[in-house]
Amino acid sequence: MEKIAQETKGKSFRTFKYSFDGIGVPSFDYDDHKDITWEQIGESVTQKKAVDLTEEAKQIAQIQPLFSYFLDGSRRVFKVDDIAYKNQVFPVVAGQIGIGCCSRIDKNMRQLKFNRRLAIALPKIASQDDWNTKQFFNSLLKKVNTDEGLRKRSIEFTDILPYSYKKDEDEKLENKAIAVIQDLMIEKEKEMVAYLASQNLLSQDKYLLKDGSLEYRVIDMKNARELRSFKNNYRWVVGASKSFNPENCKDHTGKNNSNLIADLKSFHRTPVSMYSSPRIGNMKFAVWYVRIRNKKHTNNAFDGILKLEKILVLDDEIENGIDTEEVNLITANIINERNPVCYGADFRWANHLYPVYVTETYVKSQYISNTLFLNLF
Amino acid sequence: MGKIIGKVIATEKNPSTIDEFYFWTNPKLIINPFDVIKVDHVNNSVSYGIIEEISHITDTANFLTDYISNDFGQVDAVENTYRIGMNYVKAKIIGNTVNIYIPLLNNEKVKLASAQEISAALGLANMKNPVLCGYLEMYNGSDEEDRITLPVNMDSRFLIGPEGAHLNISGISGLAAKTSYSMFLLKSIQDKCLNKEIESDDDIAFVLFNVKGKDLLAIDEANGFDSEEEKQETYKLYDMLGMSKKPFQNVKYYYPFSGKDVLNTYLDKQSLEDQQKLKKALLYKYEYEDDKDNLDLMFASLDDPTQSMDSIINYIISGQGSFGGLTNWDDFLDEVNKRCKAGAQGDKEITVASWRKFYRIIKKSIYRNPIFGTMHDNNNEIRINDALKKIKKNEVHVIDIAKLNEDMQGFVFGDAVRTIYDLQLGQYNSDDENYTPPSKIVIFIDELNKYASTDAPKSSPILRQILDIAERGRSLGIILFSAEQFKSAIHNRVTGNCSTHAYGRTNAIEIAKKDYSFIPPVYKTMMTRLKQGEYIIQNPVFRSLLNIKFPKPVYKQFK
Repeated sequence: MEKIAQETKGKSFRTFKYSFDGIGVPSFDYDDHKDITWEQIGESVTQKKAVDLTEEAKQIAQIQPLFSYFLDGSRRVFKVDDIAYKNQVFPVVAGQIGIGCCSRIDKNMRQLKFNRRLAIALPKIASQDDWNTKQFFNSLLKKVNTDEGLRKRSIEFTDILPYSYKKDEDEKLENKAIAVIQDLMIEKEKEMVAYLASQNLLSQDKYLLKDGSLEYRVIDMKNARELRSFKNNYRWVVGASKSFNPENCKDHTGKNNSNLIADLKSFHRTPVSMYSSPRIGNMKFAVWYVRIRNKKHTNNAFDGILKLEKILVLDDEIENGIDTEEVNLITANIINERNPVCYGADFRWANHLYPVYVTETYVKSQYISNTLFLNLF
Repeated sequence: MGKIIGKVIATEKNPSTIDEFYFWTNPKLIINPFDVIKVDHVNNSVSYGIIEEISHITDTANFLTDYISNDFGQVDAVENTYRIGMNYVKAKIIGNTVNIYIPLLNNEKVKLASAQEISAALGLANMKNPVLCGYLEMYNGSDEEDRITLPVNMDSRFLIGPEGAHLNISGISGLAAKTSYSMFLLKSIQDKCLNKEIESDDDIAFVLFNVKGKDLLAIDEANGFDSEEEKQETYKLYDMLGMSKKPFQNVKYYYPFSGKDVLNTYLDKQSLEDQQKLKKALLYKYEYEDDKDNLDLMFASLDDPTQSMDSIINYIISGQGSFGGLTNWDDFLDEVNKRCKAGAQGDKEITVASWRKFYRIIKKSIYRNPIFGTMHDNNNEIRINDALKKIKKNEVHVIDIAKLNEDMQGFVFGDAVRTIYDLQLGQYNSDDENYTPPSKIVIFIDELNKYASTDAPKSSPILRQILDIAERGRSLGIILFSAEQFKSAIHNRVTGNCSTHAYGRTNAIEIAKKDYSFIPPVYKTMMTRLKQGEYIIQNPVFRSLLNIKFPKPVYKQFK
């Protein structure tokens, strides 16, 4: 920390360090985002009402499951210090990011690839060179990593990220700092998917199931070619969100249909909707919901319901919506992933899928301990 | 190098300690309690551990989780993913190559050990005065090439003295094969003596008691075996262990004397006659004049708080009244009977009631019992006392008491033990000047609980005799090999003095007793399912309890 203060000519306060994950009641942090435009029916065969997939799920239970790869990214963010620049105090936020991918072979989970990043978020003003912020932070990173203590523990920071701020903004500075770390995580998730795609691991009978939403910001994508390759990476990827904002649940006419979703019967899915969002460029998403656990066993209307997402890749899909058969197959497979459960180990058990849970546990097991991490500063 | 089977885990709740450590393995890897494994440790040393417990865990948080995982109790529910699961093993440290005993470090690799390493780890390597006591089989569940069979030797100084003596074998009848195991050990000792492998001044003789059926009545005859296959298999094991395949040698049998028609033994007439022809069988008798001194042994199981029986026996032994002049048991009974009549003369101290009680008890044993009679001048009859007084090294004397009633068994056993004790104390002046008693005599008795149980009367002369042997036998050269069903039923001064304990199959009630509290729970339950021919043994030279096996006997088995 001293090194950073010295290099950026700021004043470190050595304030109390704490984790953002453990304090207070966790606020509702939905996996999905806002600003969505609902466009049309998202599948080839128009469904008027919920589709029962009990039989299909039973039929395919005997064959190889569709999902062979599971991806989960998670972060642990800490406020490690306050630092003053020009008489204003800024928080310094550091985080561990873990992106893990596991494969499933003969019902046994194996680790495939893991990527860990240790990042520090500093206010943009810390940069001593306004026009070469990137280079400045890169060289700062190198200097930080020369620290004796870090070397002894063979720990290396991988990123120092600037967060920008505007005066008189309501949002807390901490949240801005957390956001850049979150963005880094998403970036790395995308890289992981790209890696899987580049290794030709994904195919029509080896899908990747990603924890959380697929709605990425594609701000960085400058040209159509990049966007195309990004989309192609997601040909065989399904995103499953455990939690979602019921207010955003709308049918193709734009009316709120969260009631319909809450009333879904077990093993039923909603019709698929298609939407696009300004944040995600001109990409289109197919979204639908499925109930994988009987309502009588859950203590919340939306427990046991998963939100499934798929990026529409083919022109035909974008035009007419995703093939209903594919939707049914994916959904039936998701239904079959309902067992085993992580009841007792995770309070979100009703919405968790076991292989994803295992991947998440694996990622978390790879973290440096909180105490050690905090004491790096 | 050794195959790597897992890694050490040390957690907050289950740390590595000086004594023990945990490691994980693949859930499908088959290892067994008592298997020895090795782990690299600091300063290039290697620590050895012996497996105590194996547990399987998954990430299932509780029972309910699994119920829910089956669609809330649907038995035909199928899962798409197997739960993450592993086995973790608790192992006890038994040694380190350079005696470093700080706890093993987390994440160290755990490997299978080689035969040499195992024998060094268990303290079996470079054993002085080795006596074979069985063999170990390790890594039984692993691939063929990983399996290890290893002969187990004991230091004879810790089995038959002078450092430690006496062996106790416990286990339930039939399933534990107690007799077979003690015979195996005795044969192993005799093998060594015949080959002069044991220290030169150590010459050993054996006295065995046959307590049931015909078990030990043909130990110098070869085993017929049920099939050629079984024979080859057994012989192969004897070859591997480096033991001779011959049955016992220099064996003499002593049967209770009986009338012509009904034999006092379970052996059939023909076999007995054959043995007599070969001059290896004799019939034993008790003569009044010489054996009246042992009358106290008949009262071994009787509580005698007023010591009235004691005083009568004293009265008789010291030849008071007219007991001094008697020559046979018939007259003796008459004489005692006289004292039972009201107003009879004699010692005023002893009441008629006491005499009556005495008469009742001895009459039951002696009256019309052919064992009690006068010796005749033929070569077939002998007194046990006379026989044992001349015992020579490497001789095996088998005394058959199987068909006698319990009191008589005690009498014969007590008489024999007393003779051996006196012999080793140097009480007898031998007729033969050149005769020196063997430096060690090993006595084997099954069903020790009859003579030295926890509830035997304190005054029991047999118990006293056994306690003497247990406590002083080591220095006198009298070694007791005893067997019983339940060790907990044996007087703790006897078991406490045994240096070697062998535990065969036993039952759950027995292992719940205090005597077994030092044994880890998994080994305890193992004791309840040990196979025939499997023992858990404990000896001061071994660093841990050992699970050993021994081959089938090579002497004749009666079915």
